[in-house]
Amino acid sequence: MALTKDRIGGLLFLALCIAYGFSAYQIPFYPGDEYEPFTSRTLPIILAVIGTGLSLALIFAKSEDQDDGPILPNFDWRTGGLMMLYMVGYGIILEWFGYTISTAIFLIAGFHLLGERRWTVLLGVSIPFVIGFWALLVYGLDIYLAPGELFQGE
Amino acid sequence: MIDGILTGLTTVILPFNLLMVVVGCFAGTFIGMLPGLGPISAVALMIPVTYGLDPASGIILMAGVYYGAVFGGSTSSILINAPGCSSTVVTAFDGYPLARKGQAGKALALAAYCSFTGGTIGAFFLLVAAPMLAKVSLSFQSADYFALMVLGLSAVAAFSGKGKVLKALVMTVIGLMLSTVGADRSSGVERFTFGSLELLDGVSFLLLAMATFALAEVMFSVLRREHTEEDPTADMSNLGSMKLTKEEVKEIAPTVGRSSVMGFLIGVLPGAGATIAAFLAYGFERNLAPLKEKLKFGQGSLRGLAAPESANNAASTGSFVPLLTLGIPGSGTTAIMLGALIAYGIQPGPRLFVDNPEVFWSVIISMYFGNLVLLVLNLPLIPYIAKLLVIPRPILIPMILFFSLTGVYLVSFNAFDIHMMVIVCAIAIGLRLLDFPMAPLLLGFILGGMLEDNLRRALLISDGTLEFMWERPITAVIMTLAFLALFSQPMISLAKRLMHMKEPSPKVADGE
Repeated sequence: MALTKDRIGGLLFLALCIAYGFSAYQIPFYPGDEYEPFTSRTLPIILAVIGTGLSLALIFAKSEDQDDGPILPNFDWRTGGLMMLYMVGYGIILEWFGYTISTAIFLIAGFHLLGERRWTVLLGVSIPFVIGFWALLVYGLDIYLAPGELFQGE
Repeated sequence: MIDGILTGLTTVILPFNLLMVVVGCFAGTFIGMLPGLGPISAVALMIPVTYGLDPASGIILMAGVYYGAVFGGSTSSILINAPGCSSTVVTAFDGYPLARKGQAGKALALAAYCSFTGGTIGAFFLLVAAPMLAKVSLSFQSADYFALMVLGLSAVAAFSGKGKVLKALVMTVIGLMLSTVGADRSSGVERFTFGSLELLDGVSFLLLAMATFALAEVMFSVLRREHTEEDPTADMSNLGSMKLTKEEVKEIAPTVGRSSVMGFLIGVLPGAGATIAAFLAYGFERNLAPLKEKLKFGQGSLRGLAAPESANNAASTGSFVPLLTLGIPGSGTTAIMLGALIAYGIQPGPRLFVDNPEVFWSVIISMYFGNLVLLVLNLPLIPYIAKLLVIPRPILIPMILFFSLTGVYLVSFNAFDIHMMVIVCAIAIGLRLLDFPMAPLLLGFILGGMLEDNLRRALLISDGTLEFMWERPITAVIMTLAFLALFSQPMISLAKRLMHMKEPSPKVADGE
């Protein structure tokens, strides 16, 4: 049995359904709930059962289309991964530096990662953009932007 | 109905709402032109903006963005052979050859006229069909709603294409599972939160939509190294004449009419959206055309361009019928709009027609305005809007990522959401590499809560027995349809396989 895309998906989904079904049985009951036709557990349990059936079908059914198994396409995984990390980093520094500074840092880092090397463009695009966007949020839409934790002590 | 039209008209005609139509169409055209970003991403990107508006203006803005994005998608299909979304893939078949022949202007104008006609015919049908259906559906009970939702979910799977039914069903179930995360709506019991305070409110719908569509699309373009490619520069200086001759108009008029009606009807079906409508209309026209004309299809046939353009716009309009009258979205885009309406505290469905007539009617009326704006304002401005495409990718991609992240962050002001988005996006990329479709997930997620509510009510009323599924004829009919939608494809393929076993000539069907 070759490991096709369908089967990998099916196996992953089967694992998810088992875990989901298991935790569905951990959902607390209120007293008297066992006599009710519908409780907080009902739908999750139904879903777990349907899901298990579907994933088994996915694993054992004969694939209809040409499925040569998982081929990792020739993607630029390094840049993609770094971009994801930058986004995670943006989430972290947002708390510390506040919205404007971290957004500028994120944009500059993103431009740089994708091959823009001219400092005039890096700074000339990101900083006016951030200031403009900040002004729009604060003065245009009346949104309160909390300063970063680093600046809050003052 | 005249009352309703006037209500809608007075809402839409407010200067601010008119501005929303115009802004929506422009923003939608621009986003739709960017290859990869289709209507779903465009509407998702707009949601944070609409939170600050009142419901009618918000939904008008989103509707504007929707048809703007469909139109923008056709523009990039015609000019650079890079469809912005799946529903305009067919447009490129004949639109791009026309542009190569130096008739880009004519192709764009034709696309705009056909979109306008398709959209207007669709809007007219919507005007007639929606209130009627809304009145009928006022008599629906919980069991019927439950059945309708099952039908909607199974139809999405059934229309997802050959060999993908199981995968679409799996994604629907995952969506339903995600919708059960958080405090239970009736008992308040925590479900699948694993003690996390952030999950108590459930998974944010905006986060899910943004991460699986906008963010994932852009990350795919990074992964495909699109930022290092030379930007596809279409020659904007010479689009050619935008005029159509009388003979040409006469030639395509019947096509536009047929395709619009067909597109609308397909759009109304839950699960079948603009993409299927465009493909079917194109195929239908090609079969109908005389042999001489048939050979022109794919080489720059005007009919071949008119058919999908009319059909996809009529279908976009048609997909509002189930959304507005039953509260069941027929496509990924309308699913997102449903989520936004629910966030406003408006429950689309038969009551919408009674409780919030201004929302109901202003959407319908704004459709006319949106189509008009596209024709009058966008068409002449296309060369200028297209210039925006020249923004280098290394600048554009981080910007779109930033807008997606900030859209979610500005609603919750919680950096946890950004991390969650990155995780969801990574999972979405993995699933897409395994050929799993994303739209059913969103649909399942959005319908999950309502499905559970209605199932609970139906079960309580019927005292725990499953009789509610066939007790009333209407429920039984809907359940049967859902069953047919779900099992027709596997049964047909099973029947085919059995027939092949009897007569060993498997080559015949392979071409299918």
